[in-house]
Amino acid sequence: MVIIVIVFGIAMMIYTNVLRLSLSVKKLKAQALLQETMLKAELSSENTTQSVTTGDFRIEQEVKPYQDNAGLTEIHLTAFDQNQQKIAELQKVINSKP
Amino acid sequence: MIKASALYIVIIIALVIGLLCSSLIVAAYLYRIQYQKKFRQDQLENNISSGINILLNSTDTSFTREKTFSLFSNDMDSVFIQKIPWGVYDIGTIKAFAQRDTLFKSFSFANTIDSTKWAALYLIDEDRPFSLSGKTTIRGDAYIPKAGVQAAYIDNKAYEGDKRFIIGTKHNSERKLPSLDEKRLKQFEQYFTQANTGDSTLSKKDSLQNSFLRPTHVFNFKKTAKTIENIYISGNVTLFSDTTLTIDSTAVFKNIQVYARAIIVKSGFHGSCQLFATDSIRVEQNCELSYPSCLGVLRFKSPVVNFQAKVSMGKNVSFSGLIFTYDKMDSQLKPLIIADKNVKITGQVYSHGIVQLNDKSEIDGSVFTSRFWYKNSFTLFENYLINATINSKALSPYYLSSGLLPVSGKKKKVLQWLEAN
Repeated sequence: MVIIVIVFGIAMMIYTNVLRLSLSVKKLKAQALLQETMLKAELSSENTTQSVTTGDFRIEQEVKPYQDNAGLTEIHLTAFDQNQQKIAELQKVINSKP
Repeated sequence: MIKASALYIVIIIALVIGLLCSSLIVAAYLYRIQYQKKFRQDQLENNISSGINILLNSTDTSFTREKTFSLFSNDMDSVFIQKIPWGVYDIGTIKAFAQRDTLFKSFSFANTIDSTKWAALYLIDEDRPFSLSGKTTIRGDAYIPKAGVQAAYIDNKAYEGDKRFIIGTKHNSERKLPSLDEKRLKQFEQYFTQANTGDSTLSKKDSLQNSFLRPTHVFNFKKTAKTIENIYISGNVTLFSDTTLTIDSTAVFKNIQVYARAIIVKSGFHGSCQLFATDSIRVEQNCELSYPSCLGVLRFKSPVVNFQAKVSMGKNVSFSGLIFTYDKMDSQLKPLIIADKNVKITGQVYSHGIVQLNDKSEIDGSVFTSRFWYKNSFTLFENYLINATINSKALSPYYLSSGLLPVSGKKKKVLQWLEAN
């Protein structure tokens, strides 16, 4: 009986640790959302620094010229959850005029 | 009272639980590794894309030497960028790397067309009219001499084309053609004048391929008249010859460049390449040179024996890309571009001298020339077009022009993806 309890205890510890350390669906979702936002930004000619709430996430878009080149724009996207914790981020240099 | 077999049962249960736990750990580990790999792949692809945008928007020559730098001064955002001038176009190579992973892409790029300068036809003004006969069609804007355009009766043929003569807006042309890009011309002058070292013999293999991520594989046949045959040559390869170079129909060229005094492309050749000569290029009948190809005859000094620089295309040749002639001395004997019967050119023709279009020659794109010739058995007619078609509307909207030409815009785009992993 004691051995069974100990084995079950260890198994539960392993299970909870694996679950705790595995990737969250939330993070994957946030990264996919950032990729989609980046694609839209690449097609748009009017990108501005803004904050947009999409579903459970708030996406902050920071736009600035890249190394003083008027033809290039640096876009920095950051996704925050409802607790205002940073979940994912994405940076890319895009054409200012697609 | 516990059964004697209880310990066995406990051991078996513990083993089963142990197996379940270890498979759970292995599954989580593999999933995590795959996720990290995918995450790095996505990040590298983003960095490659950023590198491509940086290269396409760079106006300086800073990338002609390879350059490695951090995109955003963070971890995992290093890129390697290099620009290689490749004939009339440019080649870009980008590498993005993080830890042990590297992604690379190489591509050719060119300029978009400046619609304000674009025209189906630009014929310089030499104080004489431009005449059309037979089933000639000119579709698109045209720059023609102030004397205008008129119908002519040649070889028992009256003009049978559109009543407007030119289906598009007419503008007055200048006395000189809009000039070619000086930087690119200097680049060509260097290629033809500097001593180029390289292998003097081609290997006996049936194929030769060189990546644009490696140094250019140069062959210099010097004064030996060479025939290239039974070989497939592709990528970062340049051939030089101080005399005539013959390209047989059994050879296949892909994206390579050739510099020689004279080049002969044998009947039936298929491929895409850039051929540059100082004296002449002859493309025999039934050849097909696909986009992006280039035929250029450039003269930077007077030849010892004075003869006409020439690009000639035999019957049924299909060509896509750029054909041009350039004469630095602006000599009396002007360079000549001849298109025989049923020649189809898709792209641009820029001639510092004369363009001779024969029956049923078709140019889907534009022609910039100083003069037109039409020859029959007895007579040579100047500034006459007979049974020829020039149609700029038939050119693909995705067509990109070389920065060498005056109609090229500032914006650069990817012309062709060459290599990637």
